[in-house]
Amino acid sequence: MKHDYIQNDLIFYLDNELSVEKKMVVEKHLEECADCRSLLVFLQDGMQVIEKEKDPEASHFFYTRLSARLEEKPKFQAQSQWLQLLQPAVFSLLLVIGIYGGLKIGSNASFPKLNQPATIGIQMLNDFETEPIESFLLDKL
Amino acid sequence: MDETQLIKGIQQGDRKAFQILVENYQRMVVNTCLGIVHNKADAEDLAQDVFLEIFRNAENFRGEAKISTWLYRIATNRSLNFIRNNKRKRFFQSIEETFIGGRNRTNEISETPTDQPDRNITDQQRADMLYRAIDKLPEKQRTAFTLNKYEELPYQQIAEIMDISLASVESLIHRAKKNLQEQLLDCYKKKCV
Ligand SMILES: [Zn+2]
Repeated sequence: MKHDYIQNDLIFYLDNELSVEKKMVVEKHLEECADCRSLLVFLQDGMQVIEKEKDPEASHFFYTRLSARLEEKPKFQAQSQWLQLLQPAVFSLLLVIGIYGGLKIGSNASFPKLNQPATIGIQMLNDFETEPIESFLLDKL
Repeated sequence: MDETQLIKGIQQGDRKAFQILVENYQRMVVNTCLGIVHNKADAEDLAQDVFLEIFRNAENFRGEAKISTWLYRIATNRSLNFIRNNKRKRFFQSIEETFIGGRNRTNEISETPTDQPDRNITDQQRADMLYRAIDKLPEKQRTAFTLNKYEELPYQQIAEIMDISLASVESLIHRAKKNLQEQLLDCYKKKCV
């Protein structure tokens, strides 16, 4: 229990954001507990990644490349905006066609079944109720 | 040249003024984008887009905020968009692969960005672990956290950039750290690296 209490605050301990009292409790526990100490080191190393990554060396040709791009007309951007709109539109259309098609096929297929005894239909529906659709699908895989 | 003169110059299409702006803020913009996308080449491309946007839309700058606030806003928005588009692309690719069949996966793996090829595997794995954890943060937490950790900005300035209250920034960063800690500790316990 104590471990969890300490471990929930390790990141704030690293950033020196704990109250004086809390900090003392954490430090006292860390002195005694090797598990929490190694966890602290792991967390510290993980967060250290940011210090290593940030402020990379500046690229020397940044402005040269940028001024070359200034000459370009923003045509590409307009094109990609179109693509961005088109892609979801096409997928939505396919989805609608799929649902509509499915309903069409479904309604056609269900007509003859209406002549079967009603109890079978009820039995099937009851099965569906007791079996979640996920497990129904997974069982068939 | 002070900020007002700089912007005026850019609004009139003055390339020299633009170059000064780029030189003054290049480090800041690249670093901000890097904090969100975690790839130096992508961060530089995005930073270029940010400056192009500034040059082309300079007339929209009203002068109510500092240039840096404006740049931070565009940089974080563009970087988050980039991540969103990448996620969307990967989603459509996975659909495509499901229906059309798996493509050459080895290609994709070799294309994984590694900026420092001399880094040993443990460092790389540790970096991947942290980036994965940051990737899972909700966008607002991620923005506030990046501005605080990568740019070391005080909460008040982050509040101005994100146009939210100081208390909201405090809460976003607190939750971001909690979330990161949870994911890293989980990773430690499950020995994911
Ligand atoms: Zn402990």
